[in-house]
Amino acid sequence: MKHTILFFVYTLIRVVCYAQNDYNTELIPSSLLSRANATIRSEETVVDMRAADNVIYAVKQVITVLNKNGESNAGLVLFYDKSTIIKSVKGEIYNAFGKLHAKFSQNDFIDESAVQNFSLFEDNRIKRFSPSMNTYPYTVVYQYEVRFKQNLIIPTWYPKPADDVSVEKSTYSFICKPADKFRVKSKNLLQQPVESINEKEKRITWTVRNLPGIKSEPYSPHREMYEPFVKIAPEDFTYYNRQSNYTNWQELGKWIYDDLLKDRATLPATTLAVIQNLVKEEKTAQGKVRKIYQYLQDKTRYISVQIGIGGFRPISASEVDRLGYGDCKALVNYMQSLLKAADIVSYYCVVNAGDEKRSLDPSFASMNQANHVILCVPLAGDTTWLECTSQKIPYGFLSNFTDDRIVLACTPSGGKLLRTPKYTAQQNLQKRTANFVLNKNGNINGEVNTVFQGTQYDHHDHIVDKTPSEQEKFLKKVYPINNVNFDKITYTENKDKFPELLENLAMSVNGYGAINNNKLFLPINPFQMKIPIAEVRNRLMPLHLNRGYTDEDNFTYTLTEDLKPVLEPLNKSLQNQFGSYVATTTLKDNVLTYYRKFVLNEGTFTAASYVDFVTFINEVNTAEQQRCVLNLK
Amino acid sequence: MKFPLSLILCTMLSSTVFSQQFDYGKINYEDQLIDRNTIDSSANAVVIQEYGTSRMFLNDDGRINLLFKYHVKLKIFNKDGFRHANIVIPAYKGENHEEYISEIRASTYNYNAGVFEETMMDKKAIFTEQRSKYIELTKFTLPNLKDGSIIEYSYELLSPNIFNYKSWDFQSDIPKISSEYQVNIPAVYNYNVVLRGPYKLTDQKVERDNECMRLMGAKIDCSKISYIMKKIPAFIEEDFMTAASNFKSAVYFELSDSQRPDGSKQSFTKTWKDVDYELKSAKEFGGQMKRKDLYKDIIPNIIKDSPTDLAKAKAIYGYIKKQLKWNNYYGINTEGNLKAVMDNRTGNVADLNLSLIAALSAADLDAEAVILSTREKGLVNKLFSVITEFNYVVAKVNIGSESYLLDATEPLLPFGLLPLRCINDQGRVINLKKPSYWIDLKASQKSTTSYILAGTLGRDGKIKGTITTHSLGYDAFMKRQEIKKYNSIAEYVEKLDEKMTNLSIQKEEILNVDSLDNILTEKYEIEFSVHDLTNADQLYLNPFFINRISKNPFNLSERTYPIDLGTANDERIVINITLPEKYELLEKPKDLGIALPNGGGKYVLQTTLNNDILTITQLKQLSKSIYQAEEYPYLKEFFNKIIQNQKTDLLLKRAK
Repeated sequence: MKHTILFFVYTLIRVVCYAQNDYNTELIPSSLLSRANATIRSEETVVDMRAADNVIYAVKQVITVLNKNGESNAGLVLFYDKSTIIKSVKGEIYNAFGKLHAKFSQNDFIDESAVQNFSLFEDNRIKRFSPSMNTYPYTVVYQYEVRFKQNLIIPTWYPKPADDVSVEKSTYSFICKPADKFRVKSKNLLQQPVESINEKEKRITWTVRNLPGIKSEPYSPHREMYEPFVKIAPEDFTYYNRQSNYTNWQELGKWIYDDLLKDRATLPATTLAVIQNLVKEEKTAQGKVRKIYQYLQDKTRYISVQIGIGGFRPISASEVDRLGYGDCKALVNYMQSLLKAADIVSYYCVVNAGDEKRSLDPSFASMNQANHVILCVPLAGDTTWLECTSQKIPYGFLSNFTDDRIVLACTPSGGKLLRTPKYTAQQNLQKRTANFVLNKNGNINGEVNTVFQGTQYDHHDHIVDKTPSEQEKFLKKVYPINNVNFDKITYTENKDKFPELLENLAMSVNGYGAINNNKLFLPINPFQMKIPIAEVRNRLMPLHLNRGYTDEDNFTYTLTEDLKPVLEPLNKSLQNQFGSYVATTTLKDNVLTYYRKFVLNEGTFTAASYVDFVTFINEVNTAEQQRCVLNLK
Repeated sequence: MKFPLSLILCTMLSSTVFSQQFDYGKINYEDQLIDRNTIDSSANAVVIQEYGTSRMFLNDDGRINLLFKYHVKLKIFNKDGFRHANIVIPAYKGENHEEYISEIRASTYNYNAGVFEETMMDKKAIFTEQRSKYIELTKFTLPNLKDGSIIEYSYELLSPNIFNYKSWDFQSDIPKISSEYQVNIPAVYNYNVVLRGPYKLTDQKVERDNECMRLMGAKIDCSKISYIMKKIPAFIEEDFMTAASNFKSAVYFELSDSQRPDGSKQSFTKTWKDVDYELKSAKEFGGQMKRKDLYKDIIPNIIKDSPTDLAKAKAIYGYIKKQLKWNNYYGINTEGNLKAVMDNRTGNVADLNLSLIAALSAADLDAEAVILSTREKGLVNKLFSVITEFNYVVAKVNIGSESYLLDATEPLLPFGLLPLRCINDQGRVINLKKPSYWIDLKASQKSTTSYILAGTLGRDGKIKGTITTHSLGYDAFMKRQEIKKYNSIAEYVEKLDEKMTNLSIQKEEILNVDSLDNILTEKYEIEFSVHDLTNADQLYLNPFFINRISKNPFNLSERTYPIDLGTANDERIVINITLPEKYELLEKPKDLGIALPNGGGKYVLQTTLNNDILTITQLKQLSKSIYQAEEYPYLKEFFNKIIQNQKTDLLLKRAK
């Protein structure tokens, strides 16, 4: 008996010690402390697909917050809605030595709406918790279970939530019935998953270990390019009481078309008649689409109404017709219905919108890759794309919001992947000409004409319809020239697929050139300069330039007779893989001419080349700060 | 026939006198004709008419409730004005204090071929959102909007909160042609009425409304007061200004006293004496301020090495800041009791600062509370004691003849300096034993930064040397916050080095990052290129390497509101450069000495070359924390002069 008791005591002590030591922050390997503000000590995520409408998502996370900057990773936010139920959530907080400091439960979470800005209706809510500790490091343990009443969307596993978080160990298990079929997309993982199967369940587990923190670097590619992730898409799915299946984009697009868009396109007879009347004079399909698009822009506006079917199904066309507003799905669906009234075919296209170009993954179909909808009108030899949420955007112009990326067109024959138009570095043009007169007081005045094209079109587009006083305020902000006065401001727009905005200014600046000791110092470029960019010591990430553009300037300064330049003319020319730069000044008679052209190329370049990129941009910056020195006669 | 005529006249008169109430759904052709150019050419929408009423009534449970009715008609000029058709009405949902929104109606009118087409909003298009535990939002938007649409909506809000009688904003971000608010106040209630903003009422009417309410069987008369304002310009926010509510035209009410059925008076916040008593006896204020017992055992250990009262106060302030963490909520009342705050180590502003007061008192220091209103909340009115205008409380400790204001919410603030959000006119000192009084809320330290660059210009055109920076006040506070964003000084300097592209930092030393009461000193050994033409006999050099001003912060043509910088500030830059050989200073930026009127500030620049040492000194002082709108042109010109001067270069010539 003695033996047993001893053994028992021993185990007890061991357990106690273990519990004590487990969360001791001194146990974190030093390799995980560098560049990290928090460390995930361990995380286990289990997705148990018990049935298509009953998926249990269970997580146990142990995270050590190393310092104040790690606070942003210390909290937990859980989303819920009609099909997402938080079953349980609780946790503990431990001090630096791994000693229990406090426990918390669901009651300690703040419950609030997830809606941002003006959205009429969304049923998404959140529960959030943030520990209030101000001595570091400390450790938080979260344990929660969420039930999804659908399996169309299984959350993607990103074991490393941020650059400044390191990970000791994290696992992800997906469990389902042995007969269940699903597709997997994973990337940037070092270890192969472990699979097991028995008569009850199939289980597949991924593990990552010892992922260090890294420094966030500017011009980096998207996180999915370098961080591990696992995406899972079950073949048979249930979603808000709808059942279907898909294994590729063709089938998913078919389901969206057949199920979510079905019966949404009916319009009242009066509107049909209006549309038919509207286009009856138009000979070409293009002409008809253009007219109907104008009708849409005049009649509707964007209001977010994320209602029903998890925000995937548009409200009906007849409803939009009556209300005059809708969200992106509703407005695209409405536009599609209007076009149909004129016998024009169009496609409802799901897209991942945003300035950063991100395509749907052609190799992996899933429902949670997009956030927006646009319309594609496949006219013969002239495929036209329509953004339906803006009342001002030119016909056929997509802007930097949805340009150059793969989208899913939902057609009667199923989904098709299409690519939206690309605006090249040459097309994204800002071309400025200015003719100034410079006098001996350093005053300049003259006309400035700027053409904005391609994705640069929207830079000043929002100011066009504003009042003169607002335009003046805006211009003073974007052209922060001391003492600037705008005597005339006019805008002309050419709203087309490749739209153009012309800005015509008459401006004067008193004391633009500074006078000292009978000399006049003239900054050669009054407008924007390339801002110098930061160096990055020991760069790790490739250099990613998301979109190219061209800025071209042609300025003249007509010098009054009492002025004479003394400095050597500028002649700078740079050319490399990132782009090119030319700047010259020439003097002919009494006219000083400044020409400058900067081209930035789109592309991804090696991390090592970042140094050259910095040199390039900063050399440009230096050249643009050039000042001409003139003698006063 | 004479009689009926005068009767008609009389009725007409009374209806105009009575109110500007207007019928729902009656749109006039005049509304359609409204041209924005005659009102405000920059307006995207205009309120044509706005009418609200508030009245008290007894509900079924015998409690007095307030019923607020709102009705408005707007014209939307263009698409930029469409957002004024997105309506959000918040309702407070506290325990036993629920507000209800009802009777929502909304319509859009579009003028088409001589008639107004009305589109009524569907009731189904009204949504509610539980924004947080206490706030429910009712949201709707108007259908069928077009450029030039007229929209109209109305609703009712039922509130049990009669203490703060519903206030009324005459001014909003779009202009209004007419705005009227009518309040019906039973004679048993007395409210303090405060009218804010630069605009005067166009009209105000008071009438007696006989037997408007029954209270415990007694019939009570009401005062019916109408506040009318017409042609109200839009409110436009400007940079460097405090709370918009300080400047917006609005009318506020605060219950001052009420008469009980037996005729006796119940006073609410009539005098500071009452407020003092209320605060001191409140469980969430005075009750917690007194809890020095909580700190009795801890304090001796904290102050054991502190010989003077000042040292004790500093030690305790440091201890509380370290021990307690602010949860980012404001308030003059504690959320819990100080024992719980001590255990959980977190709380709101009152939790932290009343803890501080309790701890200071536990060391037998003379500590008081100062209640105040933050800059973004606005100024408090000093005619009446309106307790709900205060949203923040700090500690005041009196040592000898000096007193210090302390706030424990910001760990990086030095002793005696309040955060900028608290620098807002005056606060009220609440003492447990004495009557309350006003105190100025001023930054105890000027924001001061000085830069000293001592360097040598090499023949390669590079300057090598040391930059030493001393900062104090908010400058130091903000810099410490910036430094603390990084995990180490090395990381901070790495980032700094990366940011300053033309300059490289070889070595750094930062002193007093954690010793908050001392000057923050940064020393950087640096190297940067100034010129690549060093071989030439002459060289141009722009000596404004440090904090060159290129944008004028005051570039508007007109300014309406005072310019509130929060604190005076002071910047000195001294540059000493040893030249590689004998040079002559041929030209230099003009030596300058300019000043703002009324001692508002000055700027001095001086350049000298003495025995191969080039010295440039600059001093820029803004001595006031608040400048009046009339002083704007001077500020603008002041910066203008500095900018112009900083554009010019030095010209050095190699001596032969």
